[in-house]
Amino acid sequence: MSLVSQSSAVIMMNVRSLPRRFWMSAAMVFASAVVVAILLAFLAMAKGFETTMQSAGSDDVAFFLRVSSAAELNSTVSNEQVNILTNAPGIASNENGPIISPELYVIVDGVKKSSQTKANIPLRGINQQGIALRENFKLTQGRMYSTGTNELIVGQGILDEFAGFELGDEIRSGKNVWTVVGVFTTGGNVFESELWADAKVIQSLYNRGSSYQSVRAKLTSPDQIEPIKAFVENDPRLNQDVQSEKSYFSEQSKGLSYMALFGRVISTIMALGALAGALNTMYTSVSDRAGEIATLRAIGFSHISAFIGTLTEALVLSVIGGILGSIAAFIFFDGLSAATLGGSFTQVVFQFQLTSDLFLQGATMALVIGFISGLFPAWRAARLPVVIAFQNGR
Amino acid sequence: MKDLYLIYKNLTRKKLRLFLTCFAIFIAFLIFGAITALQGALNAGVEMSADNRLITANKINFTQPLPFAYVNKVKNIEGVKDVSYANWFGGFYQEPANQVVTMAVDPTTYFTVYDELVVPEAQLKQWQNNQRGVIVGERMAKTFNWKVGDTIPMSSNIFTNKDGTQTWQLQVDGIFTAKDEKTDTGYIVFHHKYFMETQTWGGDNVGWLMLTTTDSALNQQVSDAIDTNFANSAAETETSTEAAFNKAFIEQIGNIGLIIFGVVFMAFFTILVVVGNTMVLAIRERTNEIAVLKTLGFSSPRIFKMILIESCLLAFIGGLLGLGAAFVIVQGASEAMARFLPNLVLDQGIVLQALGYMLLLGLITGIVPAIRALRLNIVTGFQGA
Amino acid sequence: MSEDVLFDLVNVSKKFVKGKEQISIFDGLNMQINKGDFVAIMGPSGSGKTTLLNMLGGVDQPSSGEVSFDNQRIDNLSEGKLAKWRANNIGFIFQFYNLMPMLNAFRNVELPLLLTNMSSKERAQRVQNALKLVGLDDRAKHMPSEMSGGQQQRVAIARAVVSDPKLLLCDEPTGDLDRKTADEILETLQLLNKEFGKTIVMVTHDPSAAKYAKHTLHLDKGEFVLEAK
Repeated sequence: MSLVSQSSAVIMMNVRSLPRRFWMSAAMVFASAVVVAILLAFLAMAKGFETTMQSAGSDDVAFFLRVSSAAELNSTVSNEQVNILTNAPGIASNENGPIISPELYVIVDGVKKSSQTKANIPLRGINQQGIALRENFKLTQGRMYSTGTNELIVGQGILDEFAGFELGDEIRSGKNVWTVVGVFTTGGNVFESELWADAKVIQSLYNRGSSYQSVRAKLTSPDQIEPIKAFVENDPRLNQDVQSEKSYFSEQSKGLSYMALFGRVISTIMALGALAGALNTMYTSVSDRAGEIATLRAIGFSHISAFIGTLTEALVLSVIGGILGSIAAFIFFDGLSAATLGGSFTQVVFQFQLTSDLFLQGATMALVIGFISGLFPAWRAARLPVVIAFQNGR
Repeated sequence: MKDLYLIYKNLTRKKLRLFLTCFAIFIAFLIFGAITALQGALNAGVEMSADNRLITANKINFTQPLPFAYVNKVKNIEGVKDVSYANWFGGFYQEPANQVVTMAVDPTTYFTVYDELVVPEAQLKQWQNNQRGVIVGERMAKTFNWKVGDTIPMSSNIFTNKDGTQTWQLQVDGIFTAKDEKTDTGYIVFHHKYFMETQTWGGDNVGWLMLTTTDSALNQQVSDAIDTNFANSAAETETSTEAAFNKAFIEQIGNIGLIIFGVVFMAFFTILVVVGNTMVLAIRERTNEIAVLKTLGFSSPRIFKMILIESCLLAFIGGLLGLGAAFVIVQGASEAMARFLPNLVLDQGIVLQALGYMLLLGLITGIVPAIRALRLNIVTGFQGA
Repeated sequence: MSEDVLFDLVNVSKKFVKGKEQISIFDGLNMQINKGDFVAIMGPSGSGKTTLLNMLGGVDQPSSGEVSFDNQRIDNLSEGKLAKWRANNIGFIFQFYNLMPMLNAFRNVELPLLLTNMSSKERAQRVQNALKLVGLDDRAKHMPSEMSGGQQQRVAIARAVVSDPKLLLCDEPTGDLDRKTADEILETLQLLNKEFGKTIVMVTHDPSAAKYAKHTLHLDKGEFVLEAK
């Protein structure tokens, strides 16, 4: 009899005897499922956050912040400095002149729908060129704010996660009252977690004089960033750092990368615990079937088939667990909307994302658990003395 | 206890299984200890808040300033005991990565309002008289190895010094400690007046007010009085208890925290379920032996007790080892992450909670087979063999 | 009732309900066993041998009728009292020895003594004596898995006698052993009966084992079939 048909005979026997060890086997499936689900939950969270941040930055936008500010909130740029920057080389133009956008960044309170607690929301002061610069900007409801008025438009993420930002709602912020006149998307990125209003209005309402906080400029091509850097460094009136918007946001997206690391550590430790449980299951399985295995060996089955049979049983159980865990993770976590504190001290709204490469990592985890928990008991099965077959039941 | 040897032998009859089961329990309690400590650290601000301390901040958001004149106005409100104020400095030491929580505060009132912080009298006097002086928290002093008398360059990622740099040279006049281990000492405070005079934006404002009430029963009344007083002014206020303020801040982390802790606790319970299942089955295999013991004259309650003790012993061996490991990890992490998570401690509450879960695990996993043993009919016990 | 009677079974019935059927094993069984006797109970399977032995040992109770041991009713004792009674009066010897696999010979024999108030020193002395009696005093540290079937059964005998019970109940004690080993075991039982005055009730289906007993009772369909020895 060939090894293949021998092994498949043993595998069939093992699988058929599974109901006898139902609770043990169920425990192993359960353990593997939860480990995979937990790993996927953390990875999906980190992935969702990362995508939201990174898709916001483009590499043909130059981003100016005051030296060592690290985030928009801490930065300042005077009107004079903005005017100087307007003359920097490599900035693209449209019918309204150079596409350069000085912006303000004010934090206001919003109430989260999920917890009814207050959280920081960024209110961005922007102008026409700033909107032109964000190419995936789209109004989905209502209209644009009118310049010079207390009108604002809200990002889709804010609308989803926070209460009181529906079209037509009035928003009180201190003494100021804003009216929501439109809802916008920017393709799911971090700008959707913001409120936008006319920069000039914000300057006056929040006592900012004529100053701004950050400047964005559309470049004619991504490699224009270097000439601009030189330009800024050579002008003593400027105290700004320049980087591409993309690199700024990838720095900011590191905020939750510890989440992925944390998730990996936790699920690895968990996996060790689950492994211990799975090994118990498989050793029990082998001792439970010791008589059968020995009988098969006595008839003439090779010890390799006993080995393969046991290993396969472990892999089957852990893979079933992995599949169940993935399904559970998909049902509970994929697309789950969450909001947390981002690098700029404000809320970032993002969706958990379960992508195929994450599922692959989950599958790998399940296979590793199955393989290790099967290997050692399989080794024991292969070495079971044939004589057991001839001994009495006890 | 004559049966102890029997229990011990039952427990250790399959060394490998004992090891694997213990290991799984070890992992479960390791995770539990570490995560609960982490959660505790995040919530410490709420837990350690004083009952009668209120925070008054700008209604727009606490990052918006309040006029300096508010300090005296609040002082005159009935029920207010002491008022202090602070500004956020956005500090870092030498390079931006070394963030140091730095606040510009009122030297005469700060340590009165935060009376759980301890500064030696002489150091406090010295600091109050030295406008370039700074008092550093014990944890910060340890992290950067600062001593009284040192001059430390403190940079801001928000403000610019009038000398054109972003750095202030501050002299360490004292080190403050806390009465409770969980109180945060991972920050530094320097003179508000000096800060206002030297930063380029100028202005006459404070970031927020901290005040104590004469009686915590007056909290609501006082905070209403303050907020009403400034209603319809250029800077409306929102006053809340320190606990509520801190809680709101933590909740900014949002449902992420909820999800993470939820997921991890699920992990903890999963391991317990898996392990419990193994333990139940392990004892079930011994039906025949239990029948023999009964035949020999061992009473049912005695066997019941033996099985429960065995399962509890197993739960406590694995659990205590895990908790011990968690303690070591938390201790290590506490030093490594002192600046981000100042309150990482595996305290008594966590230990008690963990012990409770161990007992529960032992009882639940033991009770099923123990009841089976109690009810086991000797005749059928042998037939099942 | 005579002072010599150890066991007195009066009008004992035992019925089982299996599915919807009621099976009667004994119906109005009467029996006496005298002190110092060595009785073999024989009979085909299903004749009720083991059920009888279980009732004698107080691990099973009759549906009706009286079972007295040393002039004391045991059929109406609570489970806890029965356990105590067993510990004080009965030694059990099983077909498959039923030693605790994780305990060595010494610890196995010691088990019944854990139910007494003896000091550990006293217990050790008793265990040594019992092991010596069955000729295994040099095997005290051996685990059951390291011993032959005959040796394991002798450990089981040592365990049965260590607390000095009046009665030994043996359920097919030689059923799992070869002829020569079986004879050794039976000789040991005989010795216990003759020299130490133990009353022994042994269930067996092996006629050559029954020869070691003083009396043989034949059980068939729940009734004794008289047959002179």
